[in-house]
Amino acid sequence: MRHASFCFLLSLPAAALAQAPAAQPDTLRRQRLDEVVVTATRTERSLTEVPIPVTVVSQQQIQAMGALRLGDVLREQTGLTTVNDHGQGIQLQGLNPEYTLILVDGEPLIGRTAGTLELSRIAVGNIQRVEVVKGPASALWGSEALAGVVNIITQKPQPGVGGNLRLRYGSNRTADLGGTFSAKGEKLGLTAFVNRYSSAGYTLSGTPEASGPTVAPFVSYTAQSRLSYQLGERTCLSLSGRYLTEGQESNLAVAAETGGMALVNYQSRQQDYNLSPVLTHRFSDKLFGTARFYHSGYRTKEDYTYQATGQPYDQAYFHQYYTRPELQLDWQRRPGHVLTTGAGYILETVEATRYDARQRQRSGYLFGQYDWTPTPRLNVVLGARFDGHSQYQGQFSPKLSARYQLLPWLAVRGSAGRGYRAPDFRQLYLNFSNPVVGYSVFGTNQVRAKVAQLATQGQLAVDPGTGQPVVYEAVLGQAQGLTAESSRAYNLGLQIDPTPKLQLTVNGFRNDLQNLIETAAVALKKNGQSVYSYRNVTRAYTQGLEADARYQLLPGLTLSGGYQLLFAKDKAVVDRIAAGEVYRKDPQTQETQRVQPADYGGLYNRSRHSFNLKAFYENQPRGWSASVRGVYRGRYGFGDVNGNALLDADPEYVPGYWLVNLAAAKTFRRRLTLQAGVDNLLGYTNPQYISSLPGRLYYASLQVELGKLR
Amino acid sequence: MNHLFLRLALVLLTVAGLGLTSCNNDDDQQDDTVKPALETKTVADLAPQPGAPTSTGQPGQPRHYTFYSLTEGKEVPYTDSASTKWDVAFRRTNVLINGGTSGPGQGGAKVESGLFAELTTAPDTYAVDAASGLAIPAVTGSGWYNYNSTTHLITPIAGKVIFVRTATGKYAKLEITSYYQGSPASPTLATPSGYYSFRYVYQPDGSKNLK
Repeated sequence: MRHASFCFLLSLPAAALAQAPAAQPDTLRRQRLDEVVVTATRTERSLTEVPIPVTVVSQQQIQAMGALRLGDVLREQTGLTTVNDHGQGIQLQGLNPEYTLILVDGEPLIGRTAGTLELSRIAVGNIQRVEVVKGPASALWGSEALAGVVNIITQKPQPGVGGNLRLRYGSNRTADLGGTFSAKGEKLGLTAFVNRYSSAGYTLSGTPEASGPTVAPFVSYTAQSRLSYQLGERTCLSLSGRYLTEGQESNLAVAAETGGMALVNYQSRQQDYNLSPVLTHRFSDKLFGTARFYHSGYRTKEDYTYQATGQPYDQAYFHQYYTRPELQLDWQRRPGHVLTTGAGYILETVEATRYDARQRQRSGYLFGQYDWTPTPRLNVVLGARFDGHSQYQGQFSPKLSARYQLLPWLAVRGSAGRGYRAPDFRQLYLNFSNPVVGYSVFGTNQVRAKVAQLATQGQLAVDPGTGQPVVYEAVLGQAQGLTAESSRAYNLGLQIDPTPKLQLTVNGFRNDLQNLIETAAVALKKNGQSVYSYRNVTRAYTQGLEADARYQLLPGLTLSGGYQLLFAKDKAVVDRIAAGEVYRKDPQTQETQRVQPADYGGLYNRSRHSFNLKAFYENQPRGWSASVRGVYRGRYGFGDVNGNALLDADPEYVPGYWLVNLAAAKTFRRRLTLQAGVDNLLGYTNPQYISSLPGRLYYASLQVELGKLR
Repeated sequence: MNHLFLRLALVLLTVAGLGLTSCNNDDDQQDDTVKPALETKTVADLAPQPGAPTSTGQPGQPRHYTFYSLTEGKEVPYTDSASTKWDVAFRRTNVLINGGTSGPGQGGAKVESGLFAELTTAPDTYAVDAASGLAIPAVTGSGWYNYNSTTHLITPIAGKVIFVRTATGKYAKLEITSYYQGSPASPTLATPSGYYSFRYVYQPDGSKNLK
């Protein structure tokens, strides 16, 4: 049975190497030693002992919160902010959603729109825990892991046969219906999860008939399953799959050709699936091998039809596929020395309305990590990864991190590393001309050919001096040399456990970003508009401090609080303001004045201050549990109102706000749980700037445990 | 000290003159030519020439440019477009000067960064309108405005001062303050656009002094 168990542990196998917890300096930490994380090192490690900042949200907490989708879980965590740009994404260490890699059981989710991976695509009903690694993790995980990694760990098969059914209904006719199933025998294990999530949507201002709803009605189905089979004493095979389909429909008013308004019916459907067979083999007590294959697809389709005539108004589609085989070897050379190495190959294709043809890119990578524990007090992890790519320069991402147990109740940890994010398909292959305004945008991969084509078609403006088309060669050269965005990041923090009941963590971070991608004009068209492409220019930084405290006030009652201080600025803007070259207009008097360094508020959509306060109560014998969670997001910039395209004045901020959520549950005879809750108790809304916030929401749910109880 | 008194007197005189002019004639401020203090004039909501809306409901392309004489301080009819009676012309985000491919005059322009009050001398070299681009670039971020692709709003870039050589070769400086009707502090997509509000200083004596 000892061997059978590793089959069901994880796709990440180092626990099977039975590496004893590296340091057990005192008993105070033991209560949390069972909390393991896999995302930090790609091997199982105790949460308190990893040398980099990691947040873990357990299933118990997720249930106590009454959360339905991943966004509900993440937005209440210290240092994480949900932001909206073409969907709801996560901001981590002040970096936009495109810089955080999102994994399910260690495999990347695909299908981002303008960089955002919609968090509501992920149901949390079958999640065992969510791990959030803060700071770059490209040394292990490659592209996109520049700000950090969110890894969703789903439930593993439990001994016996069991499962549950769950029904929840709430405001806005939001219904969530689903169940889980788990079975495990001597050799075979199976989990399954199905979920239906639907809502009537909501309208924050105006009426849905006149202006269209803020969020249109939708229905989403998720199915997920994992099968594990013990092939031999040392070999295990598992097969996981996930499928999501979501449909949305609404009516909106558009300007008709006659000049009046016409009603258009909007229908969209998105599908997201993945399949992952994993083979693990234990060569010896010291060597463990994993072979993984992963394939994922993401497809969307949007149709706009005139209601009156049934004629099409517009349609669009987007198909993306991702295929990746990978090998990983974990070798425990001696106790306290673990070497992890791996290699893989990625093939990605995309086909879409705004791309010329099916586009394809390939990359191969190698990574290695040395996890060294020379003394029980010290742990050092050195890792690096190289990604070679068919479309841009290869990327080398090293990282060094260490943790030192200074005193039984005090540990220091620090890390320095490089993170990167590859140019996305849009930046490489987009082919788009705005029919109304008349400008064009081309991906860097084809911009030279497209500019030449426009020139032969006589669509470019001609310089009368030279008789040549107006093409900005320097910028065109920059576009063709497009490379990945990257960062150098530093984290330094303390873990303090002064009493068994109190835990404090503090972490300071700094991310220096370079080669950020921006659009730039490469040529001038005859119609006076420009041809745009992308180039690496912007330099920026984010830095700040994060603090978390947890105190067990009474048995069963835990209080916690978190705070993040954040500064995020564009370095070029800082320089220009210092040189006195930035101006602003007073919107009332129309007078122009010089912007002072102290006026600059940094990048948009970042809150200088954010904090949370939570109380979780649990009385297991009596079956009661309850939670109160308050999350404050400080004011943040939304855009420019005074003519300098940067954040420097009070009217450019969205005011700060509190979200207060309540939930309470009672379990009868260990099988039946009733839960009721209120989200956004204060009913805060901001229709102009926060369309994702629907106001106060009530809900009630019923959960029945079936089969063997855990 | 004498100079100081002299200047003070001149300022007083100017102020008095202004007051008198506005009392006498509200519509016409052009008679005031007391030297050397040049007057900053403001123009509000210079309206576009209405055109039919496009198929997608965007505001239609105005039928033609709206012409303005900095020299005279008034709008010039379209029928005078082939003359040197106008100095600048506006249509959507394009601003023309009366020179090069746009008109028969000696017009030119140069966009500089700085405060309107601090930039007091007209530069020596000017661009003229050409097929390859206008003297005042009609491109977001590099001329007088920024286009926000999220909100689709046009915002004049703060601290952009346009030096204009007029149709007759005199100098002026101009700062566009709003592109929307009524110069609202927070325009929306529904605010009628193409309505130019600007301030300018015109030097009638032909010198480059724009103090």
